[in-house]
Amino acid sequence: MPLIGPFALAFALLLAFYSVLANVIGARRRLSALVVSGRHALWAMSAMITVAIVVLWSSLLHSDFTLHYVASYSSLTLPPIYKFTALWGGQQGSLLLWTWLLSVFSSIVAWQNRRRNPEITPYALAVLAVLAIFFLGMLNFVTRPFDLVARVPGDGQDLNPLLQNYWMAIHPPSLYTGYVSASVPFAFGAAALITGKLDDSWIRTTRRWAIFSWFFLTLGNLFGARWAYEVLGWGGYWAWDPVENAAFMPWLVMTAYLHSVMIQERKDMLKVWNLALIGLAFELTLFGTFLTRSGVISSVHSFTQSGLGPYFLTFLAIVASAYTALLVGRLKMLRTPAEFESYLSREAAFLFNNLVLVGIAFAVFWGTIFPVISEAVRGVKITVGPPFFDKVNGPLALLLIFLMGVGPLIAWRRSTARNLLRTFAAPLLIGLGTGLCVALAGLHQWYVLTAFSLAAFVLGTILAEFRHGVTARRHLVGESSARAMVNLVAKNNRRYGGYVIHLGVVLAFVGIVASSFFRLEVKRSVRQGDSIDVGPYELVYLGTRSSMDPHVESLQARIEVMRDGRPLAVMLPAKLFYARQQQPATVVALRSTPLHDLYVVFAGVDEATGQATFQVFLTPLVFWLWAGGLIMALGTVIVMWPNVRERAAIAAVVRAGDEAALEAQMAPGGE
Amino acid sequence: MPPASSSRRFRAPGALLLFALALGGAYYARAAVKPSVDSVAEGLTCQCGCGLTVANCNHPQCEFSVPVRDQIEKMIAQGRSREQIIEAFRVKYGEKILSAPTTSGFNLLAWITPFGVIAIGGALLVMVFSRWTSGQPSLPARLDEQNFDAALRRRLDDEVRKDA
Repeated sequence: MPLIGPFALAFALLLAFYSVLANVIGARRRLSALVVSGRHALWAMSAMITVAIVVLWSSLLHSDFTLHYVASYSSLTLPPIYKFTALWGGQQGSLLLWTWLLSVFSSIVAWQNRRRNPEITPYALAVLAVLAIFFLGMLNFVTRPFDLVARVPGDGQDLNPLLQNYWMAIHPPSLYTGYVSASVPFAFGAAALITGKLDDSWIRTTRRWAIFSWFFLTLGNLFGARWAYEVLGWGGYWAWDPVENAAFMPWLVMTAYLHSVMIQERKDMLKVWNLALIGLAFELTLFGTFLTRSGVISSVHSFTQSGLGPYFLTFLAIVASAYTALLVGRLKMLRTPAEFESYLSREAAFLFNNLVLVGIAFAVFWGTIFPVISEAVRGVKITVGPPFFDKVNGPLALLLIFLMGVGPLIAWRRSTARNLLRTFAAPLLIGLGTGLCVALAGLHQWYVLTAFSLAAFVLGTILAEFRHGVTARRHLVGESSARAMVNLVAKNNRRYGGYVIHLGVVLAFVGIVASSFFRLEVKRSVRQGDSIDVGPYELVYLGTRSSMDPHVESLQARIEVMRDGRPLAVMLPAKLFYARQQQPATVVALRSTPLHDLYVVFAGVDEATGQATFQVFLTPLVFWLWAGGLIMALGTVIVMWPNVRERAAIAAVVRAGDEAALEAQMAPGGE
Repeated sequence: MPPASSSRRFRAPGALLLFALALGGAYYARAAVKPSVDSVAEGLTCQCGCGLTVANCNHPQCEFSVPVRDQIEKMIAQGRSREQIIEAFRVKYGEKILSAPTTSGFNLLAWITPFGVIAIGGALLVMVFSRWTSGQPSLPARLDEQNFDAALRRRLDDEVRKDA
C-alpha cells in the first residue's frame, strides 16, 4: 500500500502544473472550458494529495516500518494518538500536511468562486497551484515521505518525547492552518495585481480567509506557548526562540493587515499598503518554515532540521521578488485620491497601529536574524535572547495597547477636543484610578504601573462601547439588557466581535506582564514528610510511586498542597523515561486559579540521600493569558459569523461588478 | 527687597531639583543593592542546549546552569556587581554566553535599528499625512457639533429601529 503514496504525489505534481497552465491560458484567451478544467485539475490534485496523506497515516497507525519515515518517528509501543500525530513529528510528514492543507484550501476557494470573480479567480488558483508545485516538488524529489528502508527494523525509533503531548496534537496543525490559509488572500492579492482589477473585491472575497488565518495563527501561537509551559518545565511559556518568533511575525503583520483593510473598505485608501502587507504576511510564513527547517539559527523547537533551507530561501526570494515587481508595476493604477483630514481620526490611529505592529514584527525579525548577521560580519557568534526582545518590544507593546484603546472610539475623518474628552473621560479615569491602586498596592515598577493603567483604560473604552450600544437599544427598542446585548453583537458582529478580541488581548497582556514581573521561584531538596513554603502554600512531600510499561518508565511524586493548615489538593509531578529514545521528560503538576498558578517540577530523587528535588513556581495572573487567548478566539468566531445583511451587500456588489465579466467569460464556451 | 525676591524666585525650581536629586538618589541606592542571582542569570545563556537563559534553564540538574548559578552566588557574596559578574563570564566563554547583544560597537546596531526603522516609518507617515491634509478642503463648513450630533443621532435611531 505505501507504494501508492509516491504515485499519488507524482500525479498531484503533474495536475498542479496542468492547473497553472489551464487557468492562465484559459483566462488570457477567454477559454472558459480550459479554466474549468484547470479548476477540476486542482480538485484532482487535492484528491491525490489526500490519498498520499491517508497512506502515510495508515502506515503510521499500522507501524509499517518498511517506510523510513514510519521507522524514524514512531514505534510499536507508541500510543495510537501519537502515531497519528507523528505525521507532523518529522520533516517529510509535516511538509505533506502543509501541502495537503494547501490543496484543501485551494479546492474550497475554487468551489466558492466557481461563479464569482471570474476575472481574478483563475489567476488566484494558478498562484495557489504554483505554491503547490513547490511543495509537491519538495515531496517528490527532495524530502520524500515514502522512501523505503534498506533493512526493515523490528521496531521504530519512536517519536521525540517532547512531542508526545496533547498540545503537540493540536499546536502544529493550528499553526499550519494559519500559515497555509494566509496563502489564499495572498493569491488573490497577486491575482488582483496580475489582472489589474485592483478595486477592493479581492479583499472582500478573502476577508473571511484572512480572519480565518489570523484565528488559527492566534490559536497556534497560544497552543505552542501552552505546550512550552506544560512540557518544557521552566515555568515560562515564551522564550523568544527563533521558531516562536517565526510564528509570531506573520500574526503581527496579519493583525496590521486586518486593521488597515478596514480603511480601504471604507475609504478606498491604502491599496498599496494592504497589498504589501498581505504579501509580507505570506512571505513571513515561508520564512518561518525556512527557519524551522534550515537549522540556520539554533532553536529548541527545530525537531526537523534538514537541508531544505536553500530551497525555501530560493523560493522565498522568487516569490518576494515577483510579488514586489508586480506591485511596483501597478503603482500608478493603485494611486487613489486620499481622504485624510486630521491626526485626531480613526484613520490616523489605525495607521499608527499599523506602524507599531509592523515595527514590532521588524524588531522580532531583526533580533532573530542578528546572530547570523553578526557571524557574517564579525565572525562572532552571539545570542539574542529574551532580554533583548523584552527591552525592545516592551515599550512598543505599551504603545500598541494605548492605540488599541483609542482606535475604535475615535471618530472617522476628524474628532474635536470636545468629542475626545466626552468619549475618553471615563476610560481615562478608570486607567488613572487603576494606576493609583496598583501604586498603593506597592507595585512601583514603571512598566507595571503603565501597563496596568493602560489595560484598565482599554477595558474602560470597551465597556463604554458596549454600554452605549446596549443603552441605545434599550431606549429605542425597549429590549432587556441581556437581549439588547445579544442583538447588539449579532447585528454588528464585525464591530463587537472586534471589541471581544480586544478584550482578550488586554487580558492576555495583563497575564503576560504580571507573570513576567512577579513570578516566584523556589528550588528545594526535601525528605519524605518535609514541606516547602511557596507564597501562601505549604507543599508536603508524601513520597514517590513508580510505574513501568514497555513504552515509558515513570517516577511520580506525591505532593500535598496545604493553605492555612488545610489540605487543598494532591499534586502529582513526574519524571518520565522513554525506553526507545533513551530520553527523559518532565510531567509538570499544575494548579491553576485566576489569581495564580502553582507549578511543580519534580527533578528526581537522590538515591544516596533519599532527598527529592522540586522546583516550584508561583506565577500570578498567568491564567488570564490563556483565558485572554480563548476570548480572542471567541471574538474571531463572532467576527466570522455569517451576517445576513453583510452577505446580501457583498452579493449585490459582486453581482453588479461581475455580471458583465461573467457574461464575457462564459460566452465562448461556458461550463 | 531684591535678595528676598530672588530667593523666592528660586524656591520652586530648588524644590524641584531637590526632588529630582532625591529620586535619583533613591534610584542609585536601589541600584547599589546587591544583585539577585536571577537578575544576573537572566543575562547569561545556558550552554546545555536548552536554548534558555541560565535563570530559566529547564534542566533542574543541568551541568551548566547549576554550577554557573553557584558561581554567581559566590561572586555576589564577594560584592561584585551584575555587570562585573557578566563580564567575567563573557571573558571566560565568549560573547555567545550573553543573552543579549552588548550595547557597543557593531552590536549597537541590534539595539538601534528597530527604533530607527520605526522612527523613519513614523516620519514617513507624518510626511504622507501632511501631503494628504494639505490641499484637502475641510469638510463643508461641517455642521456645528451639536447639529451634527443631532443629525447623526436621528440617523442612528432610524437604523437601530430598522434593525430591531
